[in-house]
This record gives sequence, structure tokens and C-alpha cells, in this order.
Amino acid sequence: MNYLAELLASGLAVGAVYGLIAMSFAIIYKSTGLLNFAQGEMGMIIAYVAWSISTSVDGNPFIVALGSIGFAVLFALAVERIVIRPMMSEPILSQIMVTIGLSVIFRSAIILIWDGLPHNMAIASGNQLVDLGGVRVRAAQIAVLVALFAAIAGMWAFFRYSRFGVAMRAVASDDATAQLMGVSSGKVQMAAWAAAAVLSGVAGVLFAIAYELSPSLYALGLKAFPATILGGLDAVIGSAVGGLIIGVTENLVGGYISSGLKEVAGFVIIILILMVRPYGLFGEKRIERL
Amino acid sequence: MMAGPVAPAGRTRIAPPLLEIRNAQIIYDNAVEAVRDVSLSVPEGSVVALLGSNGAGKSTLLKAVTGTLHLEEGVLTKGSVHFAGEDIGHARTERIVGNGMVLVPEGRRLFANLTVDENLTMGAHLKSTAEMKRLKQMVMELFPRLAERRSQISGYLSGGEQQMVAVGRALMAEPRLLALDEPSLGLAPLIIDSIYQTIGRMRREMNMTIFLVEQNASRAMEIADYVYIMENGRIVLDGPAEKMRTNLDVQEYYLGFSGGDGARKSFRDVKHYKRRKRWLS
Repeated sequence: MNYLAELLASGLAVGAVYGLIAMSFAIIYKSTGLLNFAQGEMGMIIAYVAWSISTSVDGNPFIVALGSIGFAVLFALAVERIVIRPMMSEPILSQIMVTIGLSVIFRSAIILIWDGLPHNMAIASGNQLVDLGGVRVRAAQIAVLVALFAAIAGMWAFFRYSRFGVAMRAVASDDATAQLMGVSSGKVQMAAWAAAAVLSGVAGVLFAIAYELSPSLYALGLKAFPATILGGLDAVIGSAVGGLIIGVTENLVGGYISSGLKEVAGFVIIILILMVRPYGLFGEKRIERL
Repeated sequence: MMAGPVAPAGRTRIAPPLLEIRNAQIIYDNAVEAVRDVSLSVPEGSVVALLGSNGAGKSTLLKAVTGTLHLEEGVLTKGSVHFAGEDIGHARTERIVGNGMVLVPEGRRLFANLTVDENLTMGAHLKSTAEMKRLKQMVMELFPRLAERRSQISGYLSGGEQQMVAVGRALMAEPRLLALDEPSLGLAPLIIDSIYQTIGRMRREMNMTIFLVEQNASRAMEIADYVYIMENGRIVLDGPAEKMRTNLDVQEYYLGFSGGDGARKSFRDVKHYKRRKRWLS
């Protein structure tokens, strides 16, 4: 029983990391139709910057949080402005290739700027063990789940009640018509990239605190992308759920069946679910009616 | 049920027209000339109709006016478009909407996954929240049906209700000039009646300037002050609506009255067709 609880707890924690990055994929896809394959790498770079900040301020959590969120926004806006914006009217496949190119550049940037070694990231009491009714988890693992639920609630309210959120959904539904209403697709794209970078930055930093900071952190993006597909490419909140499902499944399969199957398990589930629901679990069906 | 012919406004030409297109040439993909040497003007407070069959270039002209040509690789290569005195031939859509020209696009183009209320909110995107609420009130009074359907997903409404949302959404921007692209396309006659009634009311009660692009010539002529007819990318005939209604060619080709031999011809084949280059002379 305890074993199951531990597997579930660590599954939920890693699933929340996937979920946050999966939400980033979905936000950008929903508002611009683009898949940013450098999303995991952006989360990794933000985690490295957070680490650099933390070593210079003795791990003061507030400065680290403020500094890395600020960096995430600026970083995303720079990437959007310099690389993505000029590609806006180009074929979508070329745009996707550009993000793949970016991902490779970001990965090598880590080795060039920092190093290739794993590091321990100590911020506040993030890697302290906490006893939750017999199940021992790290504080950062709890934090990432809390962050995921905060992001879900925030995104839900944003898309439902804020005028800019409604405008982003309108752009997702029909961007040419949204422009006719005076919506600037450039502003929507900037907001989407900034929000996505903050979410994947939070995921990257908390993962680094709970486990370790290393140049293989980008692989979180590879796990998160299937979670987005599972939840529905245009379903921001659905993607978060997709991340939790994949995280938990991986851990249960790894714990009870074989650790060799751990990496595969999530993908098997995705294939099965997509065969039944091709838009993903929560993807919006296009309403075809005139 | 008819909106009724509206008394033609005294068409004095002292003030410059609200919308003025001069000698426009529009080319798609650097290759296809869709509009050639078109001049057209819409005076403040009037209803101007642009008629013509499918592919005549009407929608292309509308796109030039609303700054959406670039979405389909179209460019205004010659001529100019002025709205309220400002050159908008190459302006961004946001700027044009902000200046008060709003388009109800062909096929309504609602945000199908958004509710009626959210669609209306989008129409007032450039307005403050207080303004948006006031305008929503106004639109709900104009279309009480929309108040009932407020929180429904707009994609599941009937065609007529969707057209109401589309017009209401455009009104949310408080247009000085409302451009309507084929508002009667694909709708039942009764619904077309009510749409034209609404257009008449907007004109009478809100003193709105209306630029109407239609294939449905008889409907458009009932309400318009001035009519342009477009074929193959050119304006081939224009005049005050009451004159156009009695024009034999217009009756024959656009209003469905049978002419001499009854065979369909193009204006190019009509002997007394004379292209008017008012702006060039």
C-alpha cells in the first residue's frame, strides 16, 4: 500500500512537470497554430539561469523566483521577436523546423555557457523530505503539483473571464476574423510565448530542485509533448491532465511491471486513447455548420 | 416586411465622401489582376451597394478597404483608398477598425466555439470594458433574440441567428461605416427580410453609412441610394438606385426581368454600355 502511494506521489509530481510544459505547448498551439519544439529546452535554460541566480544570492527564493520569471518573459519575447515573428507568414512546416533548430542551439548553449555536469540546486528547503502520512516526498515535488493546479485555475479564469483570454480563443477559432475585430495577432503571439515560457520555466526549476539540474533536462519536453497530444493540442487545461496521466502511468508501470517498460508506457496509452478520441481527451471538435 | 426604399439623401458633393477608392488595381500573388482601375465612393450617411456576380472582384475590393488583402497575398498596386480623409490603402486592420470601418464578412465567420456573448465582446475588442458593456446592451435591444441566446455556443445557432450575431458583433465596434459582404447568402427569404429591415433601421436610427456588397441585386437596390455594378474586376455601370432600377440592362441581367432575346449576356456585349471614368476625366 505504501509502495503504491509512493509510486502515485512521485508519478503525480513528475506528471505535474510534464503537465506544466504540456500546457506551454498547448498555449502556443492554441493561439498561433505553431508547435514549439524548443519548449523543453527553453524550460531548461530558464532552470540554468535560476541556478546561476541562486548561487549568487545564496538561494534567496524570492529573488530567484522574481529573477527567473523576469528572465523567462524576456527570453520568450526575444525568441518570438527575433526568430518567430519574421516567420509568421511562412509555411507552418518551416516554422516548426525553425523551432527544432532552436532546440538544438539551446541544448548546445547549455554546454557552452554552463557545463555538461549534473548539479544540485538548493533553493530554500526545496529538496527537504516531507512526511505525508507515511509517504515521503520532497518539498519541491509538492510545490510543482501546487504550481500545476495554480496554473490550471489561472488559465481557466484567464480564458473564461479576461478579454484578452477570450481574444486568444477567438484567434484560435478564426484568426483572420479576429484581426477584422482589431485583434493584433502579434500581441497574442507575444503573450502566448511569454506565458508558455513562464510555465515551462517553473516546471524546469522545480524539477531541478526536486531531482537534479543537468543538460538532459530538455528531455522533459519530449515527455510533455505526448501529454499535450493526449489532452488535446488546443486544450490548455486538458494538457495538464494529460501530463498527470502520463506521469502516473509511467511510475506504476515502472514500479509494478518492469522499469524497462516505464518509458514506453505513456506512449502506449496515447496510441490507445487517440484511436478512440482523435482530438485528444479534451480537444475541441471543430463545429462544422453554416 | 420590407425595409422600404429609403429616401435618397441629398447627394451634395461638398464634403469628401467617407470612403473613397480611386483607380484601384489589386493583384494577387504578383500575378492575378483581380481588380482593375476601380473608383468608387461612399458618402457619409448613405447606403451604397456594390453588385456583381461571383468572381467579379467585389470581395477583393472589400478586403482592400478593410486591410485584409495581405492575408491572401493580395496587394493594392495602383490607386488609393481613403477613409475619413486618411489614406488606408496599406494600413493595418486594427487601425482601420479603430477609425470606424467594420466589416461583416461573407459567411458570417463567427467564432464557432465561443458563446454569443463572447462573440459580441470580441466585436468591441478595441473599446474599454465600460463601453463594451454599454454597446452590448444596445445590441441586445436591437436583437432581443441574442439576449435569449447569450450564453449559447454560437456555432450551434441557426443561420439567421448567426447572421444577427455577425451584424451585432460588427455594431459592437460602433462603426461609422458598416461594410456587409453578402449578408443574404444562404439564408431563407424571411430571414433576409429581417436582415434588410435591420440594415434600414441602422441607417435611419443610427445614421450609419453602409457599404453593401451583394449578389442579390433586387434586395440591395431596395435599400441603396447609389449602385455600382462590377464585372471582371471593373466597375461597368453605376448610378443612383432609382435610375438603375429602371435601366433595361440592369433589369435584364440583375433583377430577372426578361429582356429582348432572353439570352444571358455580359455587359461587354451590350451596345449602349458605356464605361464611365468619372474620376479620370
